[in-house]
Amino acid sequence: MKILRVENLTKRFGGLYAVNNLSFSLKKGEILSIIGPNGSGKTTLFNLITGIYPPTEGKIFLKDDDITGLRPDKIAHKGIKRTFQTLRVFPNMTILENVLVGMHPIIEENIFNSIFHPPIMKRQQKEATEKAISILSFFGTRLTGTRLHHPANSLSYANRRRLEICRALASDPKVLLLDEPAAGMNPKESLEIMDQIKQIRDKGYSIILIEHDMKVVKGASNRVIALDYGEKIAEGTPKEVSEHPRVIEAYLGKKVAKNA
Amino acid sequence: MSVTSFLNLTVNGITVGMIYALIALGYTMVYGILEFINFAHGEVFTIGGYFGAIFLTWIIIQPGMPFVLKITLIILAFLFSIIATSLLGETVYLIAYKPLVGKSSRIGPLLSAIGVSIVLQNLILLIFGTTPITMPVEAIPRGFFIIGDAYIRHIGLIIIGITCISMFILSLYVKKSRMGQAMRATSQDIEAAEMMGINTNRIISITFIIGSALAAVAGILVCMYYGTLKFNIGFLYGLKAFTACVVGGIGSIPGAFIGSLFIGLIENYSIGLKFNLLGIFVALVFLLGTYYQFYLLPKKAKAGIKFIAPLFSKREEEKGSLVTTEKKTKKDLMSMEEKEMAKKAYYFGPLLIFFNFKKKNPSSFVAFHVRQSIKISFFNLFVFITMILMLFIFPNFQISSQWKDVVTYLMLILILIVKPSGLLGENIPEKV
Repeated sequence: MKILRVENLTKRFGGLYAVNNLSFSLKKGEILSIIGPNGSGKTTLFNLITGIYPPTEGKIFLKDDDITGLRPDKIAHKGIKRTFQTLRVFPNMTILENVLVGMHPIIEENIFNSIFHPPIMKRQQKEATEKAISILSFFGTRLTGTRLHHPANSLSYANRRRLEICRALASDPKVLLLDEPAAGMNPKESLEIMDQIKQIRDKGYSIILIEHDMKVVKGASNRVIALDYGEKIAEGTPKEVSEHPRVIEAYLGKKVAKNA
Repeated sequence: MSVTSFLNLTVNGITVGMIYALIALGYTMVYGILEFINFAHGEVFTIGGYFGAIFLTWIIIQPGMPFVLKITLIILAFLFSIIATSLLGETVYLIAYKPLVGKSSRIGPLLSAIGVSIVLQNLILLIFGTTPITMPVEAIPRGFFIIGDAYIRHIGLIIIGITCISMFILSLYVKKSRMGQAMRATSQDIEAAEMMGINTNRIISITFIIGSALAAVAGILVCMYYGTLKFNIGFLYGLKAFTACVVGGIGSIPGAFIGSLFIGLIENYSIGLKFNLLGIFVALVFLLGTYYQFYLLPKKAKAGIKFIAPLFSKREEEKGSLVTTEKKTKKDLMSMEEKEMAKKAYYFGPLLIFFNFKKKNPSSFVAFHVRQSIKISFFNLFVFITMILMLFIFPNFQISSQWKDVVTYLMLILILIVKPSGLLGENIPEKV
């Protein structure tokens, strides 16, 4: 079953095509990796899917729902969540609060409730806290325990990445977009996060992954799409794509590709 | 100057400070999220006061009215003014700021805010003329306590009470409720907050509404306190409240409260007290300075730490925390001799120049502490001279009330030199 469908997506910044006529789809419960050299439009693609920019042309469907051009918060409510390449946890909020903020799409609150705080809200809040802790404990004791009430800016780089994943998972998204989750981690930690991403998939989430670390890409993904200058140059299993001549050309240059 | 009038000045200072605090919240919350100064906020405050006074004039409070009815009418006036002013604040945001924020340069919304401020002020002038609007006498609580020869009006205490309560509720709201959480998230990273499903437009609107509502309350309270309200009073009050935000650390709610209290007290003490009493405050500052120079800083130098907290801002401390590991390793690189030298620097201060201290010890660690020591010595010297002048040479001198604002702003400059991010540290979003 296709959960996310992108059709002929194009984004132009002035004369520059950041994403050019791109079509692909994501099946339910799979990990789709997107690779490509720097500036090939991977993050722009995420920004288009999450609604930061409206696309110049093309459509994005979540299941059969057209979500093209919706506001970012609306898209988050529909069930697409992401992490950021440049870490963007809320630095002065505690770790627990960061995850609670991530639950916004599933907990409704109107002004009346927030001022008068009826008992039903209290129960909801308690349940939310419990759920947040259970999500955080996915990464062992790294984010739980006494750390729960520390501000997020006290965390290490790698732990902030983990926190971002927890924050995105908090509202049970249908599609999870991970932007370089292994960046800034050492080889051992990258392998660990790779396993954890697979575990998240096995729980039933569908994931699109941007990653430079080919070990992680090969180990985790079911399918890979390679982009260059915003265009899709290859699609297939990790092995197929990594051996595709145009991919080697894009990464290493024409001359090397010829010799190879 | 007796002790009782000191009490009087204190209560007055706190009262005025509370008014500033109510206005300051609007500035600080908007600044926290949108990073621009809503200059029209002062005018929103004036209009809030006008709305309240007009409402009470319209319904005409009669002299013989029963107390309960009177209170009800006054509460109704507050509600009317809060709603009307919130709508005004929201409208101003939608018309003048929303199209500009995040799209043009940062100066765009600022200019727009100044423009709106002028427009609103002229609007008041056009409708009501230059004659100040007066609060109906019946609506003002006129009671007072007498303690010694100090007399404290009920209205002052009411203002203090209302402000403290609304402050408490607001901080609880921002800290605990989900909407408050969303508000804090938005102020820290507006784009990431949007991705998390928070309707940031709604959050910004709510911020403007809360700010305007508090300004309306402040407007009515000022009108009750002084009896009248002039069309251009918002400019001065707005400026003072904004100053209070900066003094307390912009973007932080407790900062706005502390800063406002500080400004209110300085205003009253500086013109109400003779120099011999004001000198006592300066003496306290001097004591603090000597404590730093002869105890705290030498201790840090001895431990091999470059001095960071608490004279510097919170933000710098945060940046510093990244360097701590480096510092820790450096700590042991400093020889005993150097540490001793750095410690001594504080005892001798500027005299070091005569000893040619720097040339003999080119180590950057020692040089840093020498620079620090010279700074703090001059600061202490300046405070000491001021103290002597105030306590012994001109003990009976009193600053005339025209100089109130000058003194306030001199103090502001002094505080910002010592602590650039304000008393409690600023709390503004870190841009990625």
